[in-house]
Amino acid sequence: MVRRVSRREFNFGLVGLIGGLAVGCAQTGTPAPGAGQPPAPPAAPREVKVGAIYPLTGPVASSGLDCRYGIELAAEIVNGKYDLPLPLAREEGLPNLGGAKIQLIWADHGGSPERGQAEAERLITQEKVVALIGAYHSSVTATASQVAERMGVPYVNAESSSPSLTERGFKWFFRTGPHDATFGKNLFDLLRDMEKKGVKVRTIGIVNENTLYGSDANKITKQYAQEYGYQVVVDIAYPANTSDVTSEVQRIKANNPDVLFQVSYTSDLILFIRTYKQLDYHRQVMRGDSAGSDVPQYAKALGKDAEYAVTRAAWSADITAKRPAAKAVAEMFQQKFGQPMTENSARAFTGMLVLADAINRAKSVDPEAIRQALLATNIPGDQTIMPWQGVKFDEKTHQNIYAQGVNLQIIGGQYYTVWPFDLATREIVWPMPKWSQR
Amino acid sequence: MTPDLLVQVVVSGLLIGFVFALISVGLTLIFGVMDIVNFAHGEFLMLAMFAAFWLYALFAVDPVFSVLVCGPLLFVVGVLTHKLLIRHILNAPMLAQIFCTFGLSVFLKSLAQFLWGPNFRSITEPLLGGRIEVLGVFFGLPQVAAAVGAVLATGAVYLLIYRTELGRALQATSEDRQTAALMGIDTERMFTLAWGIGAACVGVAGALLSMFYYIYPEVGAVFALTSYVVVALGGFGSVTGAFIGGLIIGLVQVVAGFISPAFKMVVVYLVYMAVILWRPQGLFGRW
Amino acid sequence: MVRGKLLPAAALGLLLLGLIVFPLVVTLPYPQHVMILIFLYAMMGLAWNIIGGYAGQVSLGDATYFGIGAYTTVILLRDLGLSPWVGMAVGAVNAVIVSVILGYPCFRVRGHYFAIATIALNEIVATIFTNWEYVGGAVGIYVPILPESFVNLQFHRSKTPYYYIALGMLIGVVLLNVWVGRSRLGYYFRAIRADQDAARSLGIDITRYKLIAYAMTAALTSLGGSFYSMYVLYIDPTSVFAFSISLLVVLVAVLGGVGTVAGPVIGSIILISLSEGTRVLLGGTGRALDVAIYGLLVMAISVLQPYGIVAWIRGLRRPPKTREVKVAGPAA
Repeated sequence: MVRRVSRREFNFGLVGLIGGLAVGCAQTGTPAPGAGQPPAPPAAPREVKVGAIYPLTGPVASSGLDCRYGIELAAEIVNGKYDLPLPLAREEGLPNLGGAKIQLIWADHGGSPERGQAEAERLITQEKVVALIGAYHSSVTATASQVAERMGVPYVNAESSSPSLTERGFKWFFRTGPHDATFGKNLFDLLRDMEKKGVKVRTIGIVNENTLYGSDANKITKQYAQEYGYQVVVDIAYPANTSDVTSEVQRIKANNPDVLFQVSYTSDLILFIRTYKQLDYHRQVMRGDSAGSDVPQYAKALGKDAEYAVTRAAWSADITAKRPAAKAVAEMFQQKFGQPMTENSARAFTGMLVLADAINRAKSVDPEAIRQALLATNIPGDQTIMPWQGVKFDEKTHQNIYAQGVNLQIIGGQYYTVWPFDLATREIVWPMPKWSQR
Repeated sequence: MTPDLLVQVVVSGLLIGFVFALISVGLTLIFGVMDIVNFAHGEFLMLAMFAAFWLYALFAVDPVFSVLVCGPLLFVVGVLTHKLLIRHILNAPMLAQIFCTFGLSVFLKSLAQFLWGPNFRSITEPLLGGRIEVLGVFFGLPQVAAAVGAVLATGAVYLLIYRTELGRALQATSEDRQTAALMGIDTERMFTLAWGIGAACVGVAGALLSMFYYIYPEVGAVFALTSYVVVALGGFGSVTGAFIGGLIIGLVQVVAGFISPAFKMVVVYLVYMAVILWRPQGLFGRW
Repeated sequence: MVRGKLLPAAALGLLLLGLIVFPLVVTLPYPQHVMILIFLYAMMGLAWNIIGGYAGQVSLGDATYFGIGAYTTVILLRDLGLSPWVGMAVGAVNAVIVSVILGYPCFRVRGHYFAIATIALNEIVATIFTNWEYVGGAVGIYVPILPESFVNLQFHRSKTPYYYIALGMLIGVVLLNVWVGRSRLGYYFRAIRADQDAARSLGIDITRYKLIAYAMTAALTSLGGSFYSMYVLYIDPTSVFAFSISLLVVLVAVLGGVGTVAGPVIGSIILISLSEGTRVLLGGTGRALDVAIYGLLVMAISVLQPYGIVAWIRGLRRPPKTREVKVAGPAA
C-alpha cells in the first residue's frame, strides 16, 4: 500500500512544526523582560514575582490544581483590599514596597523531580522570581529546593509532608505545614485519648502505598506504635495504582487488627474502601493520608461509603466556626473557583500568605532580607485560617513549630473535627458502624 | 490460610481476571488482524469509563444499560483511529506504529484532562451495588456483573470470529493480507472492523468497570501494562489465549497479593517469563 | 566525489563548533538544561539504536540500565566515597552483567514477546529496588553534596561543565555507533535484523551477537543514568526506572530514523524541544493543553513520516523512486 501523504503535504507539516518550535525556543531562550537590570533593585518594584511550581498535569494534577487555587486566592487577597483579619488583607499590595503587587509565575513539574529542578532554575534565572513556593510532591520539593538553596533564593513549602525535607537543615528552605511525624503522632494521641474513654485497642495494622510518601508514613507509624505500646499485627506495602486490592484486604481481614492505619493516594483509597465494603471489613480505619486524598472528590466519589474513617488533616472546613477569616475565605474560594476549599488549598493559601508577609516585612526583594524576615515570622493563629497556634519557624530546621493537625470524620456527608476533643465540632463515632448497619 | 479464605481469594482473583480478559480480547483482536500493538488501549478504556460516568451523572443511565452505548461509541472511536491514523502507516515498521499509538495515548489522556478536569469520579450508587454471600464467600455484585458481561462479550467475539463468514474473512486477513485481498476480501474493511470491534470490547469493559472503579484521565495506565502481559501470555492474536491469560493473571495477581503484596506484580511478570520461555509464542499463539 | 564528502564534513565541523560555543553565548541555565537533556536522550537513543536499530530487537526496558548506572554511581559515592567516574565505570560493568543475565532468557523469544518481556523485567528490577532498604527503598537517595570539581562530577554554580561532559559523552557514543555500523559486528547485527533464520544458517551465533548488542546498549544507557544521578542529585526508583525513559529513548530513535547515526540525535532535538517548548509556553495553565499538543504532534509526525526524519532527508536529496520499504516485521 502506498502512503497517502504526499511529500508536499509533509513539507508543509514539518515547516509548521519547526516554525512552532522556533517560536517556542525563542520564547524560552530570551530572557524575561527586565532581566538586564540588577535582580534586586533597592527601589520598590511595581510587581514582585513569585514562582510557583506544582503538578499541573499527570496523575496528581487534581491536587496540584487545588494548591494553585489556594495560592491564587492568597495573592488576590494580598493585592486587593479586603476586610479580613489576615496579614496584608486590608492594604492594597505590599505597603512596605510601595503597594507592589504579587505576580505569580506558574510552572508545571508533572510529578518529576528532574523537571521540578529545571523549572526552579528557569524561574530563578529567567523569570527572576524573588522566591519560590511549591512543589506538593516531597520528591520534587527535594530537588527544587536544592536549586533554591544553591542560588540563595527563599523557598516556602506548604504541603509536602516528608519529615526529611526540613531535617536537611537548609538555609533557604521553610515549611509552614505539619509533616508526617506530627500527623502520625496526632493519630496515636487520639488512640490514647480513646483508651481513656474506655475503648480497648491492642493491635494495629498498617497498609500503605509503596512510594516515598507511603513508606515514610509506614516508618513513622511503626515507630509511634512501639512508643505508645501497640502491637503491629499486619504490615502491608502495596504498589501504588494497582488494579485490584482484594488480596490486601483479605490479608488485613485475616489478621484482624483493632485499628487499621492507611496511607494511600486517592485512587487506591477509593478502591480500598469499596473493597472493604465488598468483603465486609469494618474495623476502625485511621487514614494517615490526607495529603493525597483529603479532597472532596474522595467523599463525592464514594458517597456514603466514605464516612466514619478517621482522617488526619491540617485544615478542615468546620474550622470556620473558630476562625472568622476562614469562613470568609472559604466562601470567596467557593465563589471564585466553583468548588469547596480543600485542605491542600488552605495549606497552599497559608504558605503564600506567610511568604507575602515576609516579603513585605523585608521591605525589599533582596533574598537575604526576605530570608531574615521569614526567620522572624510570628503570625498568631487567629490571623490565619488554620487550626494552628500560629506560624513561627524553628531556627535550625525552619519547620513551623506551631503547625499541627486535627483529626476529622465524615459524618452525614460533612467533615467534622473530632479531635483534639476541645476543638471538636462533633462527637467521634467509634468504632465504625458495620456496613450492614449503615 | 484457611480453606474458606483460600476460596475467597480464588473467587476474587477470577472475578478481576474476567475483566482483564475482556480488556485484553480487544487488544489481541487488533493485534491479530493488524500486527499492531495499540499503546492507547488503556486510554480507550478511560474514554469508555468516562462515557459511562457522564451517562450516569447527566442522564441517570446505569452502567448496566450504558454498556449498550459505550460499546458502539468505542466502536466509532476505533474506526476513527484506523481511518485517521493507522491506515496511513499500515506498511510502516512496527516502531512507527508504537510511536503513533503512543502519541494518541498522550493526546487522549490530556484531552480528557482538558475537557473534564483531573478529578476523580465514580458511580456512587450503581444499580448493582452491594454483594452476595454464598457459604461465607463474598461476591461483589458489580464484579459478578462485570464477569458475566465479560464472558458474554468474549463469547460473542469468539462466535463472530470463528463461526461466521465475516469472522473467517477477518481470520484470513490476519493470516495473510495479500492473499486475502487476492481472494476478494476487502482488507481495508476488515482492518476497520478489527479496530472497531477491538475498541468496542474495551468499551464494554470500561462500562462494566465503571460500576466499581474510580474514573480519571490517567486510569488507563492501571490496566494497560497488565493487558499487554495478558495478551502476550495468551499468545498475540488469540482470543482464547487472551481470555485464559486474563483469568491466569487475575488469579496469580490476587493470590500473590495475599502472600506478598509488595511483590505481587513481580510474581505476575515471572509467570509471564516462565510461560514464554516454555512456549515462546504464548499459550495459544501461532508464532 | 571529494566535494560530495567535503561539504558534509564542513557542515559537521561548523555544527560542532556551534555546539562548543553555545554555552559561552547562551549563559542562561534553562536553555543549557534543554541542551543537556537533548544530549542525554540522543546518547541513550543511540545506545538503544545498537540493539533496536542495528540488531532489530525492540527493547522497551532500557530504564533498567539507566537505573542501574544511577544507583551504582550514587551508592559507591555514598558508601565508599568513590568518584562518580569510577561509579560510572562500575555501573557500566554492572549493566553488562545484568543485561546478559536478563538478555539470555529474553532472546529466546522474538518481536512483541521480547518487547513485553523487557518491560516486565524492568518492572521486576524496579520493584526490587523499591523494597530494598540498603539502596534507600522507595525514599531513594539524596546524593551527598561534594565540592565542585571535575573529579566529583558536581558543579553547583553553573551548568556549563555538565553541558560539555554531556556533549563529550554524546560524541563518544556517536563515534561508537559509526564504528559499529561499519564493523563486522554491525554486519552481523544487520543480518540478524534482516532474517534471523537466514543469519543462523550462515553460521552466525545469533544469541551471542544479540547479547553483545544488548550489552553495548546496556553499558551506554547506564552511563546516561550515572550522569543523570550527578546532575539531578536525587534518585528514587520511580524516577530512574520509569517506563517513560524506556519509551522516550525508543521514540527519539524512531522519530529520527532507526538504524542510522544521525537519527536518534535529530529525534532527540525535535522531541525534547517539543515537550519542553510546549510545556514552557502552555504549561502552567493546569489544563494539560501542552501535553495534548505534544501528543498531536507526535501522531502527526508518525503518520506523515513513519520512516523517520533521516529517511525523509535522504528522500529529498535523491530523485524520487518507489519508497515502499520492506522492513522486517516484528515476528520476522
